[in-house]
Amino acid sequence: MFNLIKRDVILQKRLLLTFIPFIAFFIIMDSHPVLTFLVASIFIPFNGFAYDKQAETNILLNSLPYTRKEIIASRYLGAIIYMVLTIGVTSLAFLMMNIPFTLTDIAISSGLFLLFAALTFPLFYIFKSGHITTVVLFSFILLAGIGPPIVSFLAENLTAITDFIVNLPIQTLYAGATLVILALYAISWGITTFIYQRKAF
Amino acid sequence: MKNVIELKSVTKNFKDFSVKNIDLQVKQGFITGFIGANGAGKSTTIKMMMNLLKPDAGEVKLFGLDYKMYEKAIKERIGFVYDGNVFFEGLNLKDIKRIVAPAYNHWDDRLFYQYVEQFELPLHKAIKTFSKGMQMKASLAIALSHHAKLLIMDEPTAGLDPIFRRELLRILQELMMDGNRTILFSTHITTDLDRIADYIAFIQKGELVFNQSIHDVTESYALVKGELNLLDRDTERAFVHVHRASTGFEALTDNIKKVKNIFGNSVIIEQASLEDIMYYLKGGIHHV
Repeated sequence: MFNLIKRDVILQKRLLLTFIPFIAFFIIMDSHPVLTFLVASIFIPFNGFAYDKQAETNILLNSLPYTRKEIIASRYLGAIIYMVLTIGVTSLAFLMMNIPFTLTDIAISSGLFLLFAALTFPLFYIFKSGHITTVVLFSFILLAGIGPPIVSFLAENLTAITDFIVNLPIQTLYAGATLVILALYAISWGITTFIYQRKAF
Repeated sequence: MKNVIELKSVTKNFKDFSVKNIDLQVKQGFITGFIGANGAGKSTTIKMMMNLLKPDAGEVKLFGLDYKMYEKAIKERIGFVYDGNVFFEGLNLKDIKRIVAPAYNHWDDRLFYQYVEQFELPLHKAIKTFSKGMQMKASLAIALSHHAKLLIMDEPTAGLDPIFRRELLRILQELMMDGNRTILFSTHITTDLDRIADYIAFIQKGELVFNQSIHDVTESYALVKGELNLLDRDTERAFVHVHRASTGFEALTDNIKKVKNIFGNSVIIEQASLEDIMYYLKGGIHHV
């Protein structure tokens, strides 16, 4: 299983050289630390899908002594492991460039990353490889376009709920968000495993 | 004799094609050639043997085990070589080994480097720069380096030049010296099999026509040539397919004795090659 996770490093070793300049660019452009941590976390797992979406990769992995459950588990566990590692590297970069960031930044960006992963990972296995980039891109634009108006509409019209959330103690809010995100991640993992086990290669 | 692969009434349906009711046994210690035209169902059947596809009905067992419970134990013992390159094409052989080797409990690095040397494979060049023959050898080196008991090869000779093909066949023969190894080898180039196969399984339009020792196949089929006036509704029954030309007929029979009884010396009976059999059976078996 660990070998499956490690394969991303072997596959992406050249790409990883671009990782540091990539983060440096975000830091120099003075992006919010949350955004920098987020794009850094997305880097390895989502590049990994670029390899996984090829039919040959699935034929190879499934011909080796791995179960389909393990192949999916390696994606979901790998995403967390690579997230932790990239956050470490990015934090170092921040420290070296003397740019302040907080633990809250890290917590928020990890939460957003896990949420984004939970929502998008199943898509990579539902849609045919040729369409997936289009689908993800399209849903991203769609979400960015209609997401904020919907949120502000809800905020204005469902005051009971927003009041409730705003009045929660901050710890409860964080704990609640963590639980919701972890639950979504677990459900997403289950769904993807279910889909992958029914796939034909 | 033990069966390494056992398919029982295996059926798989697709929109416009299906593999129907396949009963196939692959015997331990022999090379079985799996033949059929393009699109006959060879790859589909092999994919079911590898659990890349799940059958709609029937049972697939390897080494007497089923995939539901023993997927890893089964695949641990299989070496696979596919028609196309399945390895990450941007990587070199050394990195591919780094990804594949830890998957197997019995990976043997020493053996791997021995094959790399024997096949003269470069370790530091990207797989995509390899010729078709070298890619096949690279797959073979990887397939052989974990002491696989069963080698499953889907069209390994397709697209190879004759020299490479012969070399591959020689390598396979050498592998068989170790008595308990089994090879299943699909191909549409039947001359490959005349040289090395012990058993022939023939699939046609999704159905298994026969699975016999190569000796039995050559014993039971023959090509018959004669003059057209010998043919009538009764005598034609001795043939599975008749081809008529102005100069005479050529037919395939699966009942040589009957042909001898009917026609005696008035026809020429020749040994049928696998290609003849494949060609004349393309319409399926139906006695004319």
